[in-house]
Amino acid sequence: MSERKFICVSCPLGCGLTVTLEDSGEVLKVDGNTCPRGESYARSEVKDPRRVFASTVRVKGGKLPVCPVRSRTPAPKGKLFGIAEAVAELEVNAPVKIGQVLIHNVCGTDVDIVASRDLAAV
Amino acid sequence: MSRDIDVLIIGAGPAGVAAGIGARREGAERVVVLERDWDLGGILQQCIHPGFGLRTFKEELTGPEYMHRFIQQAHDEGVEFRTNTMVFQIDKGTNTVWTMNKERGIEHMTPGAIVLTMGCRERPLGAIRIPGTRPAGIYTAGTAQRFVNMEGHMPGKRAVILGSGDIGLIMARRMIWEGAEIEGVYEVMSWPGGLRRNIAQCLDDYGIPFHLKTTVTKIHGRDRLEGVTVAQVDDHMTPIKGTERFVECDTLLLAIGLIPENELSRMAGVEIHPVTGGPVVNDLLQTSDPKIFAAGNVVIVYDLVDNVSDEGLIAGANAAKYAAGKIPADIRRIPVKGGENVRLFSPQYVTGQADTTIYMRVTHPVEQACRVFAEPDLYSQRLRYARPGEMNEVRIKAGQITPDIKEITIDIQPV
Ligand SMILES: Cc1cc2nc3c(=O)[nH]c(=O)nc-3n(C[C@H](O)[C@H](O)[C@H](O)COP(=O)(O)OP(=O)(O)OC[C@H]3O[C@@H](n4cnc5c(N)ncnc54)[C@H](O)[C@@H]3O)c2cc1C
Ligand code: SF4
Repeated sequence: MSERKFICVSCPLGCGLTVTLEDSGEVLKVDGNTCPRGESYARSEVKDPRRVFASTVRVKGGKLPVCPVRSRTPAPKGKLFGIAEAVAELEVNAPVKIGQVLIHNVCGTDVDIVASRDLAAV
Repeated sequence: MSRDIDVLIIGAGPAGVAAGIGARREGAERVVVLERDWDLGGILQQCIHPGFGLRTFKEELTGPEYMHRFIQQAHDEGVEFRTNTMVFQIDKGTNTVWTMNKERGIEHMTPGAIVLTMGCRERPLGAIRIPGTRPAGIYTAGTAQRFVNMEGHMPGKRAVILGSGDIGLIMARRMIWEGAEIEGVYEVMSWPGGLRRNIAQCLDDYGIPFHLKTTVTKIHGRDRLEGVTVAQVDDHMTPIKGTERFVECDTLLLAIGLIPENELSRMAGVEIHPVTGGPVVNDLLQTSDPKIFAAGNVVIVYDLVDNVSDEGLIAGANAAKYAAGKIPADIRRIPVKGGENVRLFSPQYVTGQADTTIYMRVTHPVEQACRVFAEPDLYSQRLRYARPGEMNEVRIKAGQITPDIKEITIDIQPV
């Protein structure tokens, strides 16, 4: 058996979680969470840690030179820098609509990169 | 006398947009929000990371996504917006509001009620005298955030962050994702300024060192920043000799706190609280001038935008009531007092007209089970801990405010 500790980042409370693991790596129990989201966060943090990625892409002919984007769903933590590079290479044309998919299945993660604001053309 | 505007709102950040919605829903005919920027949304335009609106929308949105939803609601409710419009004066007494706009020139208006929602700004370098030179490369974290997220410029390649406010933590991760290096985050206090989850997901995730009780004691470089000296501090915040260390960097980001933006409030003659730095308000979010209301970070710096929007809705609704003559002038005002471990709180008066939430921060962390309460016997809630970086709330129902209550005391004490 072993223990792992981390902070739940699912909401601003930031509960301190303790996960007890069997030798096989299976989760035995989760302590310290205030709500069920903490338990599922702990389980995914042990098996497949994920984070929402947020950055900007360059925009041609927009009211601003860049437009904010996000991963629609959390992306594998280990792939974040690869995703950052893919996003940095992208340039899109204004106008951009909020929710518009800018990269499908980024880095083969099944996660889409979408615009997170409307940006009008000049 | 015919009146043009019923409720005039200054600033179209989350507080101002919500105030517009609140005022229209309360029946105000003409509700106008003035904004100096070309676009609506306030600071949230540049907060492109997720973390907003979990309580309101049951999902974590980025700042622009959160504002998008509120702005749409405001349009649907018939709130009018005027962008590129700077308010530069509010006359004391008459409450005439003066604005400047490139096309419309200088105008003035005297509305039925005013809501102040100008937000806050960051404490600059001048607020914390550091010896040394003043080269390029020193920014407040929020300025850097605007550069990166709205203007597409990186402030530098290797940065040191002074202060552990949330904006600094968020910018540490942001710059890492853009390929920069963050040498470390230095905090003079013995506890972090920002939320624990931001320490976890912005620093720990990327192995960025976080130094408590440590500060920058000198700035080096002639034209461009070349480095800083950091040193540990003792309990009196004096640098400890022998702990100094030179750190090479081309960028220094300051995340050393926010101050409510109240030049206009002062001009208008509104009483400003010496500790919060924002207007003194009652639970209707009415200032010392009955016609002027205030909400959001202009009043007290909140942690969560959900609270800012809530307060905006309340201030807008009450401003609409005032404009319609529905708030009596001789309203009861029961003063709220902060106990031993309370650094600041808002509102400072309770009227008992509606249910209310008092927001507060402790002076010192309490790292054990404790109780947040309001005397006489109005509220009590157990907490696992209380920390200056995380606001606490006291909730009081209108019906609890009986005629015998003369004063309310709020505090947090270990149990
Ligand atoms: C740099 C920075 C970054 C932040 N990042 C985060 C974050 O990541 N997460 C978080 O939860 N909170 C963050 N905050 C806190 C954030 O400010 C609040 O959550 C929220 O934006 C406050 O809303 P508000 O409406 O009170 O103020 P603001 O959003 O600041 O809006 C005020 C508006 O008033 C306008 N205004 C001011 N003066 C005038 C005038 N004289 N005439 C016309 N218009 C005027 C401004 O242009 C602005 O649009 C940040 C704050 C700052 C300063
Ligand atoms: S366990 Fe629940 S309450 Fe605690 S931080 Fe996670 S989501 Fe928030």
